[in-house]
Amino acid sequence: MDFLKEGLLKVDPGLLLWTIITFIVLLLILWKAAWKPIVEALDARAEKVRFDIDNAERSRQEAEKLLSQHREMMNNARNEAAQIIARGKEEAEKMKNDIIEKAHAGATDIADRAVKEIELAKDKALADIKTEVVLLSTEIASKILSKNIKPEDQKALVEEALSKMGTVQ
Amino acid sequence: MKRAIPLFLAIIAYIFFLMFLLSPSGGHHEEGGVGEIVISELTDYPIGKIAVNPTDNFIVIQLKHFNNFIAKINESILKNIRVNFGFIQSDMRITKRVMMMWLTVLLCVFIFVPLARRIKKDKLGSESKWVNLWEFAIGWVHDNVVEPNFEGKYINTAMPYFLTLFFFILFCNFVGLLPGMSTATGNLAVTGGLAMLTLLSIIVVGVVKQGPLWIYKGTVPHGVPFILGLLLLWPIELIGLLIRPFALTIRLFANMTAGHVVIIIFIFLVMMFKTYFIGIGSVIGSLMIYFLEMLVAIIQAYIFTVLSAMFIGSSMHAH
Repeated sequence: MDFLKEGLLKVDPGLLLWTIITFIVLLLILWKAAWKPIVEALDARAEKVRFDIDNAERSRQEAEKLLSQHREMMNNARNEAAQIIARGKEEAEKMKNDIIEKAHAGATDIADRAVKEIELAKDKALADIKTEVVLLSTEIASKILSKNIKPEDQKALVEEALSKMGTVQ
Repeated sequence: MKRAIPLFLAIIAYIFFLMFLLSPSGGHHEEGGVGEIVISELTDYPIGKIAVNPTDNFIVIQLKHFNNFIAKINESILKNIRVNFGFIQSDMRITKRVMMMWLTVLLCVFIFVPLARRIKKDKLGSESKWVNLWEFAIGWVHDNVVEPNFEGKYINTAMPYFLTLFFFILFCNFVGLLPGMSTATGNLAVTGGLAMLTLLSIIVVGVVKQGPLWIYKGTVPHGVPFILGLLLLWPIELIGLLIRPFALTIRLFANMTAGHVVIIIFIFLVMMFKTYFIGIGSVIGSLMIYFLEMLVAIIQAYIFTVLSAMFIGSSMHAH
């Protein structure tokens, strides 16, 4: 096993020192020239990405809030419109009913008035006829009876005739 | 411009590939059995001189000159710097693994420095697949390695260390998978060096964040009587502290070595039997292991990094 001890498993202090020297030199070179700027740049980029993601998240939340607000507004508007339409219909219905009612009332009034006027006219005509009849009968009676009846008898006769007429009527 | 960077990297990789293909291997390929071949592939050796042949083409001559330049530095300066670790003594000669690590360093620098400029320029993220690939890898390290183990402002402080560690190990592993290259992380000294840095970080972070008494308070659980804690638990916890980087060392080394051994043995079957029929099977087999190795390369880089992050992160707070 001498070849193992001399070759494979030999720890050469010179090589060990060279390793340490080489590694430290490489570390110093790369630290100054490579790792520092790279780590800084990557950190800055990571920071930026995190910031951007935060921003995007915030924007998304805001957009969602706006969207829900809009939805609510739309719903409200739709409800309001439906209410307006319903109210309009109701009012129209009411108005229609009112008009019909009013028309009915008007028609009844007119009919009543017509009946009343007819009544009045009839009364007037009857009264007229009555006076005319009285006058005529008086005249006739006077013409017939002017010669043989005294004024008192005449008067009694007329009243009799009148009352008779009243009963006839 | 978009295609220039990967192309440039490919050219560099190819040049290094040629260079290491030409460098003399320390083993003795012609002689010996499978054991020696495996060992010669897996062991490290200093860069040595190669003879420059005038009939070589231009690139090869340049590469050999470069190789000889390194060899000359090795011989003249680095060989005389003695490293004494008490029981092991060595010198600082540049070896094949060191060259591999330097190739990895070049790869890292050529990938990540222009990448940093592009990422910085495109504030909203680049559309290029190349940039996004590395961005994904960096983000992956951030999310899976650093973030679960550190908190707040310490994430950004810890990021550079773990990114470097992850990509260094990852590229070492992948460079080692290219034919002609060798795996730097398949060596105990390399993984040991990285694990020692982790151990050092654990101790430094513990002492800085929790005060010098961390070495006792941070390791021994609360509520334990002082004498008992000091005599019984503290040594165990200290050994546990040292075992962690040791386990890191062995895990990465063994994983990276094992796959290579299997690939080499599969290929060696052809040399052993000297028939085409074995070749079909062994090539398919080694290809399978190769794909597995690519997966292992990523997984081991991740495991080493995430365990380091766990150990260092846990020494930030008393628990």
